[in-house]
Amino acid sequence: MTTHAPPETSHAAVAAVDLVKVYGSGGTAVRALDGVSVGFGRAGFTAIMGSSGSGKSTLMHCLAGLDTATSGRVLLGGTELTGQSDRTLTRVRRERIGFVFQSFNLLPQLTAAQNITLPLDLAGRQPDAELLAHLVRVLGLGDRLKHRPSELSGGQQQRVALARALVARPEVVFADEPTGNLDSRSGAEVLTILRDSVRDLGQTVVMVTHDPIAAAYADRVVLLADGRVAGEIDKPDQVSVTDALRDLAARR
Amino acid sequence: MRATVLRTQTTAAARRPGRLILTGLAILVASFVVFGTVLVQQITERTVRDNLSGTPAITDLVIGRPGVPPPTVTDVRQVRAVPGVAEAVARVAIGVSIGEGYLNLQSDPGSGPLTTVRVTEGSYPDQPGEIAITPRTAERLGLSVGTTTSGTAGELTTPAPLRVTGMVETGADAGYDAYAPDSAVIAWARLTAVERVDLRVTPGTSTEAVRQRVTAAVAGQPIRSGAEVREAEAQAAAEQVGKLFVLVGVFVSIAVVAAALVVTSTFRIVFAQRMRQLALLRAVGASRGTLVAALTAEGALTGLVAGVVGVASALTLGYALPAILRATGHAVSSPGLPVAAAVAVVIGAVVITVLAVLAPALSAARVSPLEALRAASTTAGRRGIGVLRLVFGLLLAVGAILAAVGTISQLPKPEQADYDPTMPLLLLVGSGALAFFALVALGPLLVRPVLAVVGWPLRQLGPLGRMSVGGIGGTPRRAAAVSVVVALGVTLISGVVIGGASLQILADREMALSAPSDFEVNSNGGTLPPAVVSRVEAAHGALARVVPYRMVDDARLLRGADKLGDVESGYPTSDLDVAKLPSTGALDVAQGTLTDRGPGRIVLNSWVARDAGLRAGDTVTLALGARRVDVRVAAVLPGDGPLHAGILADPADLDRLGVPAAYTGVLADAAGAGEDGRTAGVRALRQAIGGSEGVGLAVLADDRDRNDALVRTLVWIAVGLVGLTVLIAVVGVGSTTALSVVERVRESGLLRAIGLSRSGLRTMLTVESGLYGVIGATIGLVLGVPYAWLAVQTLGIEAPLTAPLLPLAGLFVALVVLTALAGVLPARRASRVSPVVALGVEG
Repeated sequence: MTTHAPPETSHAAVAAVDLVKVYGSGGTAVRALDGVSVGFGRAGFTAIMGSSGSGKSTLMHCLAGLDTATSGRVLLGGTELTGQSDRTLTRVRRERIGFVFQSFNLLPQLTAAQNITLPLDLAGRQPDAELLAHLVRVLGLGDRLKHRPSELSGGQQQRVALARALVARPEVVFADEPTGNLDSRSGAEVLTILRDSVRDLGQTVVMVTHDPIAAAYADRVVLLADGRVAGEIDKPDQVSVTDALRDLAARR
Repeated sequence: MRATVLRTQTTAAARRPGRLILTGLAILVASFVVFGTVLVQQITERTVRDNLSGTPAITDLVIGRPGVPPPTVTDVRQVRAVPGVAEAVARVAIGVSIGEGYLNLQSDPGSGPLTTVRVTEGSYPDQPGEIAITPRTAERLGLSVGTTTSGTAGELTTPAPLRVTGMVETGADAGYDAYAPDSAVIAWARLTAVERVDLRVTPGTSTEAVRQRVTAAVAGQPIRSGAEVREAEAQAAAEQVGKLFVLVGVFVSIAVVAAALVVTSTFRIVFAQRMRQLALLRAVGASRGTLVAALTAEGALTGLVAGVVGVASALTLGYALPAILRATGHAVSSPGLPVAAAVAVVIGAVVITVLAVLAPALSAARVSPLEALRAASTTAGRRGIGVLRLVFGLLLAVGAILAAVGTISQLPKPEQADYDPTMPLLLLVGSGALAFFALVALGPLLVRPVLAVVGWPLRQLGPLGRMSVGGIGGTPRRAAAVSVVVALGVTLISGVVIGGASLQILADREMALSAPSDFEVNSNGGTLPPAVVSRVEAAHGALARVVPYRMVDDARLLRGADKLGDVESGYPTSDLDVAKLPSTGALDVAQGTLTDRGPGRIVLNSWVARDAGLRAGDTVTLALGARRVDVRVAAVLPGDGPLHAGILADPADLDRLGVPAAYTGVLADAAGAGEDGRTAGVRALRQAIGGSEGVGLAVLADDRDRNDALVRTLVWIAVGLVGLTVLIAVVGVGSTTALSVVERVRESGLLRAIGLSRSGLRTMLTVESGLYGVIGATIGLVLGVPYAWLAVQTLGIEAPLTAPLLPLAGLFVALVVLTALAGVLPARRASRVSPVVALGVEG
């Protein structure tokens, strides 16, 4: 394990500086994030790990402009997200961020193809035909584009969600437990695709997970405990991650 | 187990009373409308009773009743002599013909407790030949206090003088009302009998004793108490109200059916939201029956709450409104407290809700226990319909078409005299009902094709439009359930609009013939003095479009030497120039054309054409006395002719037939608008007539106004009643949108997360809601317009087919706007939810 250096906020794709998020007020107030400073480099695949209640989901929501922090700053490629209006954050999410969720979150009334191009439709942009064809081929969705989500398996649905996140060439893809609802084989496929997107397309990916196997696909793991950064692992593998998590649990 | 499952469902429902109300909103509105109708009927009946201007309340006894020989004048004298009778008033009304027109002369004491009039000017008459008149009568007939005229009535065949001594106010002023004491009326008109005698008993005397003495005095005359007579009058008035409310009841029942459909659809949505929970209950061992029972119980609870709230709000409004109206000076009575009706409405609400909930409950209980283990967002609603439903729907549709074909085959043929509309009308109603239920069954299949057409422009508008159209198209069953109710409302309203327009045209045509102008100066069978005609023509300030005409009653139609037709005396024939009056200039024709008029041409009304066996283009000889003119039939009218003329001929032809040049009548329009213009016209015509013997004046415009007002009132009442169904439809769209927003909160959250703005989400959901209106209104117009046309034809009233485009387009737009507005609030609520919260919701 390395000691954590000051985050290189200026060069990072997305970064948090002294981020604090408090839920509730008075005696029942909960500090979900308690001064988190962390940067995520471009074309890197980072996993955020921690036990339940460590603040990893809150951190992701704040980084992605889905939630607003109580204090501190969020920088997306040098753009300040803190204190922005809902309208600006909406545009940022639409144009610069992609999402993959644990429960897929496809629109049931749209076909797979329509689901993939939905964010571009909302932005009024045409999809990059070449990229779209590449993604469909890589994700093996060629014969599934006309199907609706209810006609697809979980793994297929998550691959559609991946295509949706990647097709707009966002600056950062945020993945929230993307393998949580999948069997191990489908999960491995999804993680491989995420890692390949980093390697082949230069995509920046930030993934929240509690699964050491999933985290092992990442270039780097950021550990969170009680709303603070509790450590980092470079070039993680399943063993180092499991050890780190055990250490973290023992310290509490 | 059963009790536990029941508890999980009902406590969940009870914990969210708002949701419960939303689910049962349509039933709530229906209960409100039904119980409101009960209250309105009571209010109307009581108001009619309380404000009845019939027998004065103080009347103790009434002698005589319709249907038996009336009390004689001698009886009246004898009754007055009976001890204990404080006052006896003979009531009688006679028609009086005076030079200025017609008077209804009624007997009334003019003062004292039994009077029904109030003197406002001059004095009440006390001598035979004296009368008091109402203000409108004074204006219409050109009479005033001090004027003397003369008239004939009943036995009185030679005109006797009548002097106006005063003006009176009465409950109803028809414009031809005169009053005088009974003795004066009896003496002037030389009456021997009256209609009835109203008695007042001296205070302190037993009414029963007086009754016996009166019975002895006027043997054989029926005697009723004043209260009895008033009750009978009130019953008669209430019966009218009752008949009207039977019609109201029909429309209210349609609204109730609509409410049942809406609530079925809302329950379907509510249960779909709970699919996982229900699957879990099944997984841990609840049987299907248990689930159905629990869900039905929830429906009963919803119906109970909705029914009670609906009845309570109707009751509140029913008591508040009359009180407010009374405070602003309107005589409106409060309703009673119809407890039995209230209980019946609540029970009805529960029963209908339970019936409505059964189908959704049965299909929800069919959920597989495995569903509980599946990922949430993959369970999409079923898109198509089952084979059974398809077959059933097709059978209904075929039935509707067969019934419609049956109706068409029974439509009246032209010239068909004995047409009975009952059978085809029943067939048509049956066809309409079958078509509606076919629509209910096949609706989900219709939504997507209709959407493909009406949604096209929206899809071109960009991603939001495409999303809205996709949102509706993705859940066709839900869209169908709501749109069908909107369609029902639009069908009914478009039917009323088209029927009303046809009725208006028919009434206009009828009026153009019987009342072609504002005024008619008539010689009553003789001819007008030329001076009168020239004075009328000179009165430019007050009169416009003065059209004199001649009319002969006995023109005959001959072919060779043979008289055509069965009529002995001949046909009424006029040389009225129809082109000079705007109302008759626009007459429609059954055959030929009205432009082809002139010497040697005649126009026939439909009856004469049928009687004489003539068609447009035929040549025939017009004969009067020994003179003859050869003419050609230029046109045949679809009904009667103007001024009830059988034949319209050219003035030159009438000259050749030897008709004198003196006019028999003059038609004229008022130059000014409104009541003032009309009064000025009446004055000018009276001056022109002067004292000419036998010349009368008729204000045709008054008849026309009454007719127009009647048609308009009928259409508005119909629109109001049909509006109930539309109200329920809009409520249905609102609650469906609200519930589907709740159901789709995750979807909303996702759309916000991937970059849909707040206003974008709001727009999308509002447009979706409006789309229900577009689909419903489209289906409604496609069904409503042909059915309305068929209905107008079925009535056999020879009304033309009309498509009042502007009102129909207005109806379409109004429905779409209303349904879109119904979605505004739910859309606002959905857009306020933070995406993080929305994504975290267990779906």
